[in-house]
Amino acid sequence: MADAQVSVSPVLPPLHISPSHSAPAPPPASSSSPTTFSCPSSPSSASSSSSSSSSSCCSESSSDCPTHHPCHHRHHHHHHHHPRPQLQLPPPPPHSEQPSSPSASPRSSSPSGSIGSTGSLCSSSASEGIGSGMSSGGDPRGPSPPLDVISEDAMEMDLGADQVIDPEVALKACQEVLLKVKLLDNKHQQDSQQQLGVDMTERCGPQWNSHPDAGSIKEEDEEEEGEGRKDGKRLQQDPLPTTRLEASSPSSSSKQSWLLRLFESKLFDVSMAISYLYKSKEPGVQAYIGNRLFSFPDSEVDFYLPQLLNMYVHMDTEVGDAIRPYLIHRCRGSITFSLLSAWLLGAYSSDMHISTQRHSRGTKLRKLILSNELQPPSPLSSPSHRRSHRRHNSSNVEVGPAPDSPVPGEGEVFVSPSRRTHQRSKSDATMASSGPGACLKRTGSNPKVEAVHEEPERLRPQREFVKSLLCIGKRLATLPTKEQKTQRLISELSLLNHKLPARVWLPTAEHQHHVCRVPHTQAVVLNSKDKAPYIIYVEVLECDSFETSPVPSRIPETRIRTARSAENLDCSAVANANTAGSMTSEHRAGSFSTVPNYDNDDEAWATDDIGQLQVEAEAQTSSSDNISQFSVDSITSLESKEPVFIAAGDIRRRLSENLAHTPTTFRRDPEDPSAVALKEPWEEKVRRIREASPYGHLPNWRLLSVIVKCGDDLRQELLAYQVLRQLQSIWQQERVPLWIKPYKILVMSSDSGMIEPVLNAVSLHQVRKQSQLSLLDYFLQEHGSFTTEAFLTAQRNFVQSCAGYSLICYLLQVKDRHNGNILLDSEGHIIHIDFGFILSSSPRNLGFETSAFKLTSEFVDVMGGLDGDMFIYYKMLMLQGLIAARKHMEKVLQIVEIMQQGSHLPCFHGSSTIRSLKERFHMSLTEEQLQLLVEQLVDGSMRSITTKLYDSFQYVTNGIM
Amino acid sequence: MSQVEKKAGLLRRTSSSKKPLKEKVVLMYDEIFAKEDPAKNNPRFWDELFLMKVNLEYLESKLESVDGEEVQRIQDNINSLFHHCVQTLAEEHQIKVVNALQTLCALFRGVHQKNKSASGFDIINMLMGFDKAEQRMKDLMERLDSLLCGDSSESLKSLCLKLLLCLVTVTDNISQNTILEYVMINSIFEAILQILSDVSSRGQHGYDAVVLLALLVNYRKYESVNPYIVKLSIVDDEPTLDGMGMVVHQALTEYNRQYKDKEEENQGGFFSTLTSMVGSMFIADADEKLSVQTNEAILLALYEAVHLNRNFITVLAQSHPEINIPATPITPTPTTPTTPLGTTPPSLDMMNNPELPLDPNLQTSNLLITFLKYASIVMQDTKDEHRLNSARLCLIILTCIAEDQYADAFLHDDNMNFRVNLHRMPMRHRKKAVDKNIPSRPLVCAVLDLMVEFVVTHMMKDFPMDLYLRCVQIIHKLLCYQKKCRIRLHYTWRELWSALINLLKFLLSNETTLLAKHNIFHLALLVVNLFNMFITYGDTFLPTSNSYDELYYEIVRMHQVFDNLYCMVLRVSTNTGQWKEAASKVTHALVNVRAIINHFNPKIESYAAVNHISQLSEEQVLEVVRSNYDTLTLKLQDGLDQFERYSEQPKEAAFFKELVRSISLNVRKNVSLNTLSQDVLLKEFSTIS
Repeated sequence: MADAQVSVSPVLPPLHISPSHSAPAPPPASSSSPTTFSCPSSPSSASSSSSSSSSSCCSESSSDCPTHHPCHHRHHHHHHHHPRPQLQLPPPPPHSEQPSSPSASPRSSSPSGSIGSTGSLCSSSASEGIGSGMSSGGDPRGPSPPLDVISEDAMEMDLGADQVIDPEVALKACQEVLLKVKLLDNKHQQDSQQQLGVDMTERCGPQWNSHPDAGSIKEEDEEEEGEGRKDGKRLQQDPLPTTRLEASSPSSSSKQSWLLRLFESKLFDVSMAISYLYKSKEPGVQAYIGNRLFSFPDSEVDFYLPQLLNMYVHMDTEVGDAIRPYLIHRCRGSITFSLLSAWLLGAYSSDMHISTQRHSRGTKLRKLILSNELQPPSPLSSPSHRRSHRRHNSSNVEVGPAPDSPVPGEGEVFVSPSRRTHQRSKSDATMASSGPGACLKRTGSNPKVEAVHEEPERLRPQREFVKSLLCIGKRLATLPTKEQKTQRLISELSLLNHKLPARVWLPTAEHQHHVCRVPHTQAVVLNSKDKAPYIIYVEVLECDSFETSPVPSRIPETRIRTARSAENLDCSAVANANTAGSMTSEHRAGSFSTVPNYDNDDEAWATDDIGQLQVEAEAQTSSSDNISQFSVDSITSLESKEPVFIAAGDIRRRLSENLAHTPTTFRRDPEDPSAVALKEPWEEKVRRIREASPYGHLPNWRLLSVIVKCGDDLRQELLAYQVLRQLQSIWQQERVPLWIKPYKILVMSSDSGMIEPVLNAVSLHQVRKQSQLSLLDYFLQEHGSFTTEAFLTAQRNFVQSCAGYSLICYLLQVKDRHNGNILLDSEGHIIHIDFGFILSSSPRNLGFETSAFKLTSEFVDVMGGLDGDMFIYYKMLMLQGLIAARKHMEKVLQIVEIMQQGSHLPCFHGSSTIRSLKERFHMSLTEEQLQLLVEQLVDGSMRSITTKLYDSFQYVTNGIM
Repeated sequence: MSQVEKKAGLLRRTSSSKKPLKEKVVLMYDEIFAKEDPAKNNPRFWDELFLMKVNLEYLESKLESVDGEEVQRIQDNINSLFHHCVQTLAEEHQIKVVNALQTLCALFRGVHQKNKSASGFDIINMLMGFDKAEQRMKDLMERLDSLLCGDSSESLKSLCLKLLLCLVTVTDNISQNTILEYVMINSIFEAILQILSDVSSRGQHGYDAVVLLALLVNYRKYESVNPYIVKLSIVDDEPTLDGMGMVVHQALTEYNRQYKDKEEENQGGFFSTLTSMVGSMFIADADEKLSVQTNEAILLALYEAVHLNRNFITVLAQSHPEINIPATPITPTPTTPTTPLGTTPPSLDMMNNPELPLDPNLQTSNLLITFLKYASIVMQDTKDEHRLNSARLCLIILTCIAEDQYADAFLHDDNMNFRVNLHRMPMRHRKKAVDKNIPSRPLVCAVLDLMVEFVVTHMMKDFPMDLYLRCVQIIHKLLCYQKKCRIRLHYTWRELWSALINLLKFLLSNETTLLAKHNIFHLALLVVNLFNMFITYGDTFLPTSNSYDELYYEIVRMHQVFDNLYCMVLRVSTNTGQWKEAASKVTHALVNVRAIINHFNPKIESYAAVNHISQLSEEQVLEVVRSNYDTLTLKLQDGLDQFERYSEQPKEAAFFKELVRSISLNVRKNVSLNTLSQDVLLKEFSTIS
């Protein structure tokens, strides 16, 4: 990355405001402007700081379109940054395009201008110049990149505060800018790619990161000056931070340059970004990182979404403002992201006092997201159009779509005051015509609510879906027995089925899809004392884009029968007749439903139909069964034929063999309905459900499953998941063969959420209760005798997973380790679940389990005893794992530390949570000492009577073996 | 309010006082029955007529009293009356529509009562005139259709359905009702479906609509092409089918509930038993019969749906919480203007309130469960003819279900477990089963339980052979499915085996009396073949290896029965006589059973002798069985897993003919009982129009 840096630097000096440059400006800038910019939502600061710029906007706006008040805020922001740039680098020069660009943004933002309050405070004359520049240059071309983006961001900020801005316009503008920039960038790339070994891997970043071109950089600078962190997309360049840093604290310039270098380096990843965002008190750094977020791949940032949002909710405004543009941008781009953010925001805000919560920024952002204001500017037209938009929003792949989008975009931007309603109706129309709209209506769980809002909201189907799932969970909790719960669950889900398929999806899934059916009879209630978590299986149809692909149409349940029967019939003649029959009947059905005029129908039932029907009525129906069609008198035929003899012993033997060969299944236990369902091999289940599903024949059919939890706080689970994921990737990176299985967690509120089930796994408790065998014997039964390959593989898996989870348990201090919370999968891995007690919390705070982790003699037996090679391997793995983890401790710590902010979760109880966690990494020990430590831990856990004690305690209290 | 007064005033003015009012209508009727055209002197005659309250009795009796010659004389006027009735249906004035509907009712009924012997043509001619009949009926059906499908008042719709029911049931034998030919041509099928698919209209008219449909389907079912059959067989609209299911479900649930209430009442101590007994002699009995009869219509509808429509099968398994509320009260819930027709979301009534009722005691149920419960009640007592018919129909429906692969799939679905509380007849030799302990099992267990229950409880002198055959066949069909799909049902097969053996025993001990009426060999053959299924194919569907041993144990234990049966069939088959062939089939079928008995009995005896045990325990016998399989050879019998598929024609045609006749009578009676009281309607319309 060094070279990138180097290459950049030559360009930078002139453009960048060097310390000296910035010095003049800074006094105001460093002291007040950063803060003011950062919190546009807080009127007081904004107004004071923005005073310099906003007058211009007022004037301009008043002249331009006085009728609009909505978004004056953004206006002043917008101007805000202009003036500053001007101070430094007066005319936004090199590119001829640039001047023109500004014009667009004022335009777009102008509607907002007229409202006075803050806007009127602005007083810079400089902005006027810009304003005029814009107006002169801009019209023909549309907005120029930077300004547009800025304006958009500004608008968003305002939105948060008073929600008066039309986001569509903003986004449109933003996109055009992006396009422009992309074009521009492309040019640069062509020009200067050779010299710049810029990494183009980052998705939307490249353009910005590699500011090879002076012009663009200049722009950035200007903006940055004025408005630093607001203009999300843009500023991920380094110049900004440098200037900031230098400006704000000139004394420590060496440190900053180091920082700068770091930020520019390839090593600078999301993890570091988050870390600096959290730790740095420098608004400039924060703003820089806020912008830099745009340059990371979505998926990488997504991992830290909980951290980002928690910081947004609980940390000071600077951090929030730095993140906000990114969040808004992503929310616009994706329904999934919007909902995840909204859910997490709700959950993380819940620890606040109710009064503060209501006005907190988190709550406001949540409202904004849910308000549907962040709808992407798709109204333009068809889904495909939108898709292209999104694509170039988020990636640099395409330059192509550029020409077509600006034009309509411009139209949108410049529409008159009525634009808003116009737009909405337009979007309605497109929604309806493209199919999704129709499906939406069917979607919500609550028809009443549905009836009220006719307008299709893009988030609503999914929210309704989730809500109805959670409601089911709540209702189930009131039923006394598992059996009743399961029955009720099944009937509730069958009702839910009536509304599917719809534009809903399972957030835990990897791929884009639409949910098409819930095979309700497969759902089952999980073991829990007083809550009613349950697992459902969900049939989905994969698609290109969940948001734009048309929702599959409903296929009636019975449709499967025709298909299946056609397959099964052995007699081809009958099969023919049958398929013919089913086809005509379908055909009929079609005409039936579409042609209301029955006279026509009567004609449609031509005589052949009826003839066929009567055939059916008469003797053998051409029915679906391949149970014999003929009535054969069993005896008469026997008389005519040579008798066939069979041995009774054979029948008996076949019976017992058949029974033995069926994969070991668990007995149905009304007290533990999930045991059977979870034991069934996943492949088997998929096959079975697919066969029975009317959608099963579709090639993009998939089966997913999810656990719905109601009444449980999953935030800790989410934290654990993140730590596990982090450790997993660390171990992968360091090539330590530890095996763990982080399962996805979706936090939907502080007391509900969803969990991705671990497939093919049952709890040790269930294993024991059902098989009545020791763990080792169960292994032998499932995988074969000691010397078989299958057993050895399973044993190795067991050891690797044991080692992984032992470390996890030690590092995270996972408690409540009874056998109901440890799963065993079909390959022999163990998987710990339920991270309800980690770090500083333990059940009832009794400090019951004092051992570092759970290692029973049963476990050791499976590993081949204390002296076995595998046991040594186990300890070695742990040592390696600990060393690797230690190396990347910061990455782990950071996750936990950020989440501690403002949290009242029990795992953060007390003041020493982080310190203790850090200590458990034993940074100071040598590897020899570490090895000793591992030995001690293992020894202690082995000997620990508390594990045993805890198990019997659990048995007595909860019946868990 | 002023509207109402005005209306009242208006009525009073035309009728000035009560007596003249009556006379006025009657007078007008008389005018119609005169030779002259009543409109000749009074051009507004017809307008006025439909403003007046219909005097059904008078009109009907008048029509009845018309004799042959008069018919000719007044035919024009009657035709004219009919014509005007039909025309008035299109009017906006609701009172007139009501009166026209009722007049039509009276016309249909009066004409038929009078002309019991008259041919359908005469009737049509008298009502409409040949040349115009087609047009008139087309108009009538179209008007009714638009009334039913439009957003007219609920009472009006109800009246339309009553009129249709009235029309459909005017003859005892529905197939002789020639007017229905026009109802075939001008189908109102779609209107019926619409009623069923809409939640609110289904609640109020669903029952009538379903009964009407069931009757229409049975019009000349076997002789001609009935479009209702065709259409019903291909409906695949889920909401509609669900709606139909809901209506049936509610009716059956209501019956079950009433029965349970009565049962509980009867158990309320000696005195109350006595009084209810006394009381039931007069009221309750009649009441009960009535309720059974009304349910026959519903049962017929269920049958037609299951039999004709393959999509309906899914509705059977559609689960929803049991409804314990008395079925839809008559109180018409006003149609909310917010839910225009057809826009309500698909599926069940429940969906209107997204929160299902939250009663922990509420069992989840579905149509099939309700039906099984209903069947268990009906089958208890088959002495009464209606109940016998109901029981037979129940078994026929179960036969259809057992043959359907989709139905079998959910019957055997291991994930759909239910507790089904079947009603069991209290019997001398067994205590009333403790309901509470029924485990939650796949639905097929409940079906099997029901069959076992039937087998055990109907061994009586007046032997319901027909029902027994159906019952055993249902079991057979289920076993065939299990064998084919290798489903190992955890069912206590032993109960079934011992029930079947007891049945054989009963047949043996009542051979002479039964043979006078029935071919007992056919039944015996079916029963023995059930055992053969277990013996030869047990490896494919028995749940444990132990259960196969138990089968042998049971056969060996009850070997006497099989021995006797063999002796009997051998005797009959060696004699010449009508049963010769039937009996010889049974002898062949017994081959394997006898092989088992002859193989194991000596082994067991010698075991006992060797070990000096007089009475072997079950475990010991099982041990002997287990250790001696290998020396036993069985004969593979053909066609054990094949069965005759159910077909309505020709075997069941007579039954259905009779059934429909009895339903027609019943419906006719009920329609005349509770429909046409006008007060309610007038009250409603006075506020509406």
